[in-house]
Amino acid sequence: MPHKLPDPQYVKENYQYMTLSKELEENIYIFQVLLKGNNDMVFRQISIGDKKVKAFLVYVDGMVDKLLITRNILEPIMIETRKLNKIIYTNDQLFNYINEYFITTSEVNVKDKIGDIIDDLLSGETILLIDGVEKALIISTKGWEGRNIAESTTESYVRGPKEAFVETLRINTSMLRRRIKHPDFVIENMKIGKYSKTDVSIAYIKSIAEDKVVQEVKKRLKKVQIDGVIDSGYLEEFIEDNPFSPFPQIAHSEKPDKVTAEILEGKVAILVDGSPFALMVPAVFVQFFQAAEDYYERYFLSSALRILRIAAMFIALLFPSIYIAETTFHQEMIPTQLAISIAAQREGVPFPALLEALFMEITFEILREAGIRLPMQVGQAVSIVGGLVVGQAAVQAGLVSPAMVIVVAMTGIASFSIPAYNVAITFRLLRFIIMIAAGTLGFFGIIMVVMMILAHMASLESFGVPYLAPMAPSKTQELSDVLIRIPWWAKILRPRTIQRKNIVRQEDTRG
Amino acid sequence: MKRFIILILTIAILLTGCWDKREINQLAFVQGLGIERGKDDMIHLIVEILKPGLLTAGGGGTGGTGGGSAAGKPYAVFQASGVDFAKAFANLNDELPRSLFMQYNEIIFLDEKFARSGIYQTLDFMTRNPEFRRTAYILVVTGGSIQELFNLPSSNELERYPYKEVMGLISNQANTASSYVSDLNEFIETLEIPKKAPITGRLVIVKKDGKATGIRLSGSAVFDNDKLIGFLEEQDTKAVATLMNKLKRSTLTLDKGLKGEKAHISLVVTKARTQISPKIKDGDISFDIKVNVEAYLNEQETKYELTEPENLEKLQTMVSKKIKTAIEHALFILQKKYNVDVVGFVDILHKRNPALWKEVEKDWDKIYPDVKFNVAVKSVIKRSGLSSKPIHPR
Repeated sequence: MPHKLPDPQYVKENYQYMTLSKELEENIYIFQVLLKGNNDMVFRQISIGDKKVKAFLVYVDGMVDKLLITRNILEPIMIETRKLNKIIYTNDQLFNYINEYFITTSEVNVKDKIGDIIDDLLSGETILLIDGVEKALIISTKGWEGRNIAESTTESYVRGPKEAFVETLRINTSMLRRRIKHPDFVIENMKIGKYSKTDVSIAYIKSIAEDKVVQEVKKRLKKVQIDGVIDSGYLEEFIEDNPFSPFPQIAHSEKPDKVTAEILEGKVAILVDGSPFALMVPAVFVQFFQAAEDYYERYFLSSALRILRIAAMFIALLFPSIYIAETTFHQEMIPTQLAISIAAQREGVPFPALLEALFMEITFEILREAGIRLPMQVGQAVSIVGGLVVGQAAVQAGLVSPAMVIVVAMTGIASFSIPAYNVAITFRLLRFIIMIAAGTLGFFGIIMVVMMILAHMASLESFGVPYLAPMAPSKTQELSDVLIRIPWWAKILRPRTIQRKNIVRQEDTRG
Repeated sequence: MKRFIILILTIAILLTGCWDKREINQLAFVQGLGIERGKDDMIHLIVEILKPGLLTAGGGGTGGTGGGSAAGKPYAVFQASGVDFAKAFANLNDELPRSLFMQYNEIIFLDEKFARSGIYQTLDFMTRNPEFRRTAYILVVTGGSIQELFNLPSSNELERYPYKEVMGLISNQANTASSYVSDLNEFIETLEIPKKAPITGRLVIVKKDGKATGIRLSGSAVFDNDKLIGFLEEQDTKAVATLMNKLKRSTLTLDKGLKGEKAHISLVVTKARTQISPKIKDGDISFDIKVNVEAYLNEQETKYELTEPENLEKLQTMVSKKIKTAIEHALFILQKKYNVDVVGFVDILHKRNPALWKEVEKDWDKIYPDVKFNVAVKSVIKRSGLSSKPIHPR
């Protein structure tokens, strides 16, 4: 008696609400309708036990561990089930026997909704369908080729853990779990992306992280209705507080040690499958100037380096502008000898200082961009061309003055010393605005734009935490981790700007 | 729409800028401003303007400055005159291809004749105009014209142009205190204290066969109000500096040995503190001047051992006496010869005894020449250089 198969169009539209039927033939038909044309789909027909019950094994080639399937699924159910000949059983009983006695992988689930089964199938699980049973066995066989854990390429330390996140979410969460062995450490999962169905994990410590922040993170993530999430950067733009600000309001890192440290301070980490960069919220401005290494090196050195970095920030932001303002409006502020030497260098330079600076800065930015995108071998050629042509030749051709080359070089180097790349980019952009203000209004212009930037920064918030905290609003005690870093044994409390639930970090062991 | 308006406003604000923009290479850096009074009573300005291209060796890398460093002086001298300072200044500007930039000028040279005729109007212009530094030093040039100073043969100079040479002299005189150089600020402040007279440095142009060959900072010029009235010798200048508590370091030479024999002993004064307090007795005003001096022995032609307390005591007494004589001499000159109060006794009296000051203020010019000063000097010799005992040749 031929069973009447459903209409393919109907299946395509409604498969998410459908459940498996008793007829294996119909089930396979539905799968084939949905996944037609994919040559990486494997439908393996087998017979089980002495009764030769028909069954289908379905998986995606390349996403599963084939050795696991052969040894732990096929071998037991094709060979061992023959020993069942003494027992009388129904197909449903057979299904349970297989689940309980035969399949020897660690994780097996039973599901009957076709939508769920398809999702699992496409994320690398193996499906076992048995004739006459309305359920399917979802056998965990995920195993694909991924990148090995390697040293970080974007954040490198002299001292400290070297490993970095990879593209596989499970490996990343395991790296965090290995560092925080406490039942309060929670890793929650959700799927985002209509087509990509990307796994996203939210990691935090229940007893430290502020509940409101956790709820807010979940709420904002649930709102995301994009077709696919390729990198954590997608989500960052969706969930940040002020999307029109040039300042990053969410920190990211590819170092598990850094993320762990942030989680211990009460922050919430968001990990996205396929992206080695974890997001951390809430973020404050100063944290972009704190390298993880600050906490591993001795505190004297770390404090000195932090001060140096803040100085570098001001140089990166203001140095060319100050040069322009001083040479075109406020010459009296330059020491006499230096002014004479700058004037001598500028004799014969055809452009005003502002144009000269813009020309050099833009050239420098182009060089930097070219250097990042190019393969390493070609990149070297670019830096030679940049160094020689732009530096030496432009001076000799009388296009720019040597002092300007020094200013631009200083600015460039200073901007590299900011640990967080995303803030460094912000400063690179703002620098041009300040330069134009300096070239038209002198110091007045610089101060005006800086005030505007400061006002904007003061108005920013990241998940309820003021962006400039703990400087504004001022929390005197927490300033001990801003410009300087006090030794670990003196850090009795956690930063209260992030959370107020559980503020004692350690007992005061030094009195 | 709101954003558009903000954009327009930003552009409007930025475009109103630029109006006072001057590129640094379009400026005429003035270093050395001389003021004279011409024959027709006109104000005569002489400026030394630097040529940056020639000044910085290696600065010729950029296009237009390949003139070679040996070719000519690194500065040019320009002059202009006018009925007042502002007019002369404007005339000077008309002679120059670049705009005058006074901010780097830290010395104002006054011709002796001009200084004697009064410098009030110059001071007025300079304090009104933001381009002039209030920290610029004032020097009175004697023994030659400012023109001669600015065209001093470079073979006789250590620095590359006369202004720098003078600048060096000013900072170097701190070692000997043989001159007292005021800046514009101090000069004007002094002028504003009633009855107090400003002094400033005197620059002497040394001549040989009628040609200027060198310069020397020597003594100081005394003003009565804004008019130059005379000069103080180097010794008197040191004494005045001591009284004003401005002496930082100086040298002192005694021309007698400890037992009165003819020999020289030189000391370096490293510290001098003066306290002046007014005394009123039977309506007569007098001032008690207490000076504490610290010094060390620099050279002696005799062979006394200063480790002996007796010798040390004696030397200290001699030093005190010498300083006392010098101070009394300087006070005599100021009181009797010029009848001006450079030290600021008026100020002290005013502060300590305002009631009395009100009474005597009107007649002060008559009272001042007869005011008595009781000078008491206490000196301490702290060290004798590297050697505690003199060399005893066999």
